[in-house]
Amino acid sequence: MFLQQLANGLTIGMIYALIALGYTLVYGILKFVNFAHGDIYMIGSFIGLFLIERLHMPLIPAFVTAAVATAIIGMIIERVAYRPLRTADRIVPLISALGVSIFLSSLAQKLWGTGTHPFPASFGSVTYNVGGLIFSQIQLLILVLSFALMIGLHLFVTRTRIGTALRATSLSITNAQLMGIDTNRIISLAFAIGSALAAVAGIMVGIYYNAVYPTMGYMAGINAFTAAVLGGIGSIPGAMLGGLLFGVIENFTGAYISTPFQSVITFSVLIVVLLIKPTGILGKKEILKV
Amino acid sequence: MNRKLGWIPVLLALLMVLMTACGGKEENSSSGGTIQIGLAAPISGTQAQYGEALRNGAELAARQINEAGDIDGKTVKIVVEDDKGDSNEAVNVANKFANNKDILALVGHFNSSATLAAAPVYNRNRIVHISPASSAPGVTDAGDYTYRVITTDAFQAKFLADWSKELGYQKVALIYEQSDFGLGLLDVYQSAATAHGIEIVAAESYLPGAKEFSTILTKIKEKRPDAVFIGGFYNEAALIASQAKKLDLRTDYIGVDSLYSRALLELGGESVENFKLIGFFYPGGNNEQATKFRDAYVEAYGKEPDTYAAYAYDAASILIEAIRQNGADREKIKAYLDTLKDFPGATGSLTFDENGDVQTVPQKLIVKNGAFALYEG
Repeated sequence: MFLQQLANGLTIGMIYALIALGYTLVYGILKFVNFAHGDIYMIGSFIGLFLIERLHMPLIPAFVTAAVATAIIGMIIERVAYRPLRTADRIVPLISALGVSIFLSSLAQKLWGTGTHPFPASFGSVTYNVGGLIFSQIQLLILVLSFALMIGLHLFVTRTRIGTALRATSLSITNAQLMGIDTNRIISLAFAIGSALAAVAGIMVGIYYNAVYPTMGYMAGINAFTAAVLGGIGSIPGAMLGGLLFGVIENFTGAYISTPFQSVITFSVLIVVLLIKPTGILGKKEILKV
Repeated sequence: MNRKLGWIPVLLALLMVLMTACGGKEENSSSGGTIQIGLAAPISGTQAQYGEALRNGAELAARQINEAGDIDGKTVKIVVEDDKGDSNEAVNVANKFANNKDILALVGHFNSSATLAAAPVYNRNRIVHISPASSAPGVTDAGDYTYRVITTDAFQAKFLADWSKELGYQKVALIYEQSDFGLGLLDVYQSAATAHGIEIVAAESYLPGAKEFSTILTKIKEKRPDAVFIGGFYNEAALIASQAKKLDLRTDYIGVDSLYSRALLELGGESVENFKLIGFFYPGGNNEQATKFRDAYVEAYGKEPDTYAAYAYDAASILIEAIRQNGADREKIKAYLDTLKDFPGATGSLTFDENGDVQTVPQKLIVKNGAFALYEG
């Protein structure tokens, strides 16, 4: 049972990690928590569902199309709701983000109704038995695809010119601008990448739980945000580690202690970690700029 | 950028929030020619789909009487308030209804926790409310003005424990919702089943609206139960069955009437085949009223009604009949309910006992070939 629970925890942890990356990318640059991110994940899931159910798209093209569409939505949200507020007080874009969050979930309720939608894809229900350990097809997809996306993102950020520009912008927007970096485009890019990853996570969760619904972004968003803080918000490896840890801790708590106490214990772990290391596990100390 | 202009998007965002918050709300108009009946249900939030079913059912009852036109030339109007499935909101809604003299009685609330929180307000203000869905045992003692058209969880859980014995289950695992509703089921089923010599090998709970069950299912798989008893709603039940399938957990399922919804079949697909459950609203069987309601509902909304729509329809129909016979007066409505006997409802033949609880014998059902069928054992 231990290994099976570990596999379950890693699966959901991968999802948290993918969503957490969106929080961390944006926070790393703008020092701003995009509260609408959970709802972007939900919208991505619905777009995926629409493509697969209504347009009968195969799985892989549906993933790509939904990711691109959600990335565009993420960029539009940044342009319309956040960019005009960039110089305003820090609390202002936060309120705007809450507004976007409510707007998106209400929009989804209007468009797709309040109910839970099953994923039609028969994909994912096939199970493999590896030495007593049960893996479903979708679980393997989540593990492999999430891992590949994270490696890809890591290489992109550390090995490419745009990636370097992204890191430069996260160090200091003003200085990056002085170096000739179009920081607005970099910020758009951060939103696009975060939203695309959220969409992929959304579709995979939709298939895994066989449920897509308008309020799915709420708890997933909170958990992923917590995972990002746990790992060290602003740090990309931190988001990945935080997501996995959060998923595994949550699962083990449910398995060995008590399911109703899952959240209590997971969030207690968060508090303890933050007390010992206020910047999160892999977070860097913020240097106060004078 | 200009700091002043920076506020425009904020205003826009606020406007969006306000628009979405107000959207879909209807104006309350109270003219002399209308009879107003309240409906307190979770219209938004995680249980919004149940709220929608309740609203459709109650409004269908009003529409039918308005089309027949035999209620003193007045029209019946269902006034909907959203309790969001939340106990605090339920109290706010209750105060709003109780203090509005135009509201004669109401259908509500959905969640047992909401009903229990709101009931004192209704009883203090002497206004009848009929819950279409709150089956927790505690509702029995909630007050003289509290009625329900759903049988108690205790009644259902006992019935299911008896059935479990008939089916020959020896080891049963329980999965229940962490709420008044789920805990009520757990208590009664557990003691009744144990009395029948059935071993309860696991009892795991989840929070309402949960989607992740692989943790508890992995635990349950270890215990190799003959059956899993589900004390919750159809959304979660469908997810439990499909996630159990992904973990290769093979077992029987047995559950309460809150699982009895087409959504269970749609969400669960193959994985809910052979699910055993009880139901009160079964159209196409021997209850003519149920078939009539189903046909009218399909015509009005273009989809099949679920159990909650039928309960809300029955609750609203009883209130309308009370007003038709005894007149538009809060006390007289109560008097009618106390003498009501064998009201022909879509969910069966309805009579309230001295506590305001309905006494209806459920039908045993089973999922066969992706549809509900009467269980013939």
